[in-house]
Amino acid sequence: MKRQTVPVVLVALVLLAGCGGTKRKPAVLTDPAARPSAGAYPPATATPEPEQPVTEGPDTTAIPAGGPTGEDFTPNDASGENGPLEDIRFEYDKAELSDEARATLEKHGLWLQNHRTAKLTIEGHCDERGTVDYNLALGDKRARAVKDYLASLGVAGDRMHTVSLGKERPLDPASNDQAFAKNRRAHFVVSR
Amino acid sequence: MARTESRSRLFSNPRPRVALVLAAALAAVWSARAGSAQAPPSNSQIIITGGGQRFAVPDCIPRAGDEASREACRTITQVLRNDLKFEGLFQFVPESLFSALPPLNPENPNFEDWRSVGANILVITRAQVTGGELVLEVRVFSVDSKQVMLMRRYPGRTDNPRSFAHIASDDIVALTQYRGVARTKIAFTSDRDATKPPRGKELYIVDYDGFNAKRITVNNSLNILPAWSPDGRSLAYTSYRQGSPAIFVARIFEGRSDNITKGDGQAFAPSFSPDGKQIAYASNKTGNMEIWVANADGSGARRITSNPGIDTAPAWSPTGQEIAFNSDRAGTPQIYVMDSEGLNVRRLTTVGNWNDAPAWNPSKEYPEIAYTARLEVGGPVSFDIAVIDLATRQVRQVTSGRGSCEYPSWAPNGRHLVFSCRRGNTWQITVSDREGRAIDTLSAGAGNNVYPDWGP
Repeated sequence: MKRQTVPVVLVALVLLAGCGGTKRKPAVLTDPAARPSAGAYPPATATPEPEQPVTEGPDTTAIPAGGPTGEDFTPNDASGENGPLEDIRFEYDKAELSDEARATLEKHGLWLQNHRTAKLTIEGHCDERGTVDYNLALGDKRARAVKDYLASLGVAGDRMHTVSLGKERPLDPASNDQAFAKNRRAHFVVSR
Repeated sequence: MARTESRSRLFSNPRPRVALVLAAALAAVWSARAGSAQAPPSNSQIIITGGGQRFAVPDCIPRAGDEASREACRTITQVLRNDLKFEGLFQFVPESLFSALPPLNPENPNFEDWRSVGANILVITRAQVTGGELVLEVRVFSVDSKQVMLMRRYPGRTDNPRSFAHIASDDIVALTQYRGVARTKIAFTSDRDATKPPRGKELYIVDYDGFNAKRITVNNSLNILPAWSPDGRSLAYTSYRQGSPAIFVARIFEGRSDNITKGDGQAFAPSFSPDGKQIAYASNKTGNMEIWVANADGSGARRITSNPGIDTAPAWSPTGQEIAFNSDRAGTPQIYVMDSEGLNVRRLTTVGNWNDAPAWNPSKEYPEIAYTARLEVGGPVSFDIAVIDLATRQVRQVTSGRGSCEYPSWAPNGRHLVFSCRRGNTWQITVSDREGRAIDTLSAGAGNNVYPDWGP
């Protein structure tokens, strides 16, 4: 299996934290323009996001309850679709992240850093060509693989929640290869 | 794959019909009586034995000429015939031969008439509707001995005449060594009432023959994988109504459901122990999916598997001492068996690269496990229902060429299976005998109907 890639920001952070000497190669982010400064990226062990308004930090101000903020975003709609973070896809009967999936998750990691009030539900889905029990476990494995990778990018674990939907909520109900590919996914439901 | 016969340890006959064991018991009863009394044995001691019994079930005769009584009789005739035939225990004189016989005198049947069409057992039913009450009378005669084998009167409300026939059928089957299934119910998941996306899936129960559907959950979330409690009063199931999937127990006669795995990660696939005191399920509480066992109220939860692979789909043995489950610890999903404390894990299935959803036959007469199997590797992915004999490890295929089928569950007497099959664009509940000879789609209603569990 291909070596896991790590975004340059995480490496920078690790170095700042005095844990240099890692042999892991920095990855090239697919969207360099979106790359924040290293200092904006908290370590994976960051303390949980406070529930009360944020009063300090380089890019935050106190958030009035329910009001607009400088980091506003549109959460997923009531159906759970049309959110700001695109799905990632999986191979049949697999929960491993492809290079393409990792690149997408790195973009998602940056977005989550820039939208620190956002909370994330990671849904693991499967296509219909599997048994119900095993697919529920496979969807769980997919969702947890995504959560673990986002955590490795510095997203605090308590902002993320996983749910397996197995084959119960296919994006495309058709029974063909195109639909199957769409339905083997991790889906992201963003809320405030 | 060729179908192979299962042979239980107790019976050399691959498809025991009726009562080898009780035939011996009956002989003992008769010999005990022979020395002391001349009276014939009472009704409860006459037992239907032998595989060649041919039933005649003539039309129910209304006790009054009113339309309500006639209509009740029509329903009872049809349902009773269906119920008795479904059991697969008896042969039947074709109804087309009845019209050639003189009219049946229900008080004093001419047994020679019925012998002439090959009947050994005659089932006479009479019914009357008076006000809101229906009374069904059933008499079962041995044509050969001219003795009454069963005589019962069933009074009740007229709401559901089918239930009268179901009770009568079970009482007739009780004359054999088996317990009938006519009064049993099947729980399942359906999207039939989902009106807008995301489509909710709710739990329903139906009579074993697909009639009399009742909706159990009403929350427009996902409610899947129902499992009956042994007393038939509760359903454990997986629900997403609180966001994360959790095990709920619905007390169906009280109309309430309780989450028994609160705060325990995500939990799926509950299964009641045979004594109803414990529930096994799969949960990711400690990281990956493992099998857990808790008391029926959720207390005392303990993990009984510990493996980096997926462990899910627990199913209890009829003794409660073992649990079958699914694991991909060896690379592909396969069926394993362990004792109910999690020790002594051994792999059961070796044929195919995807086996899931074990269901242990509840009858000690048939030591076997049904499961979902991908038997034909290569080509489009499709699943069938298979049964593995625990003594010989022989696998027999129950479904073939019906589209993809999955999620088997046994009738309480272990003689039939229910599962769901994709036919065309929808999934439907399907019932089969344990050999896969008689397979029928259940008329369980609209929508996709999946994940059946056959209850008491």
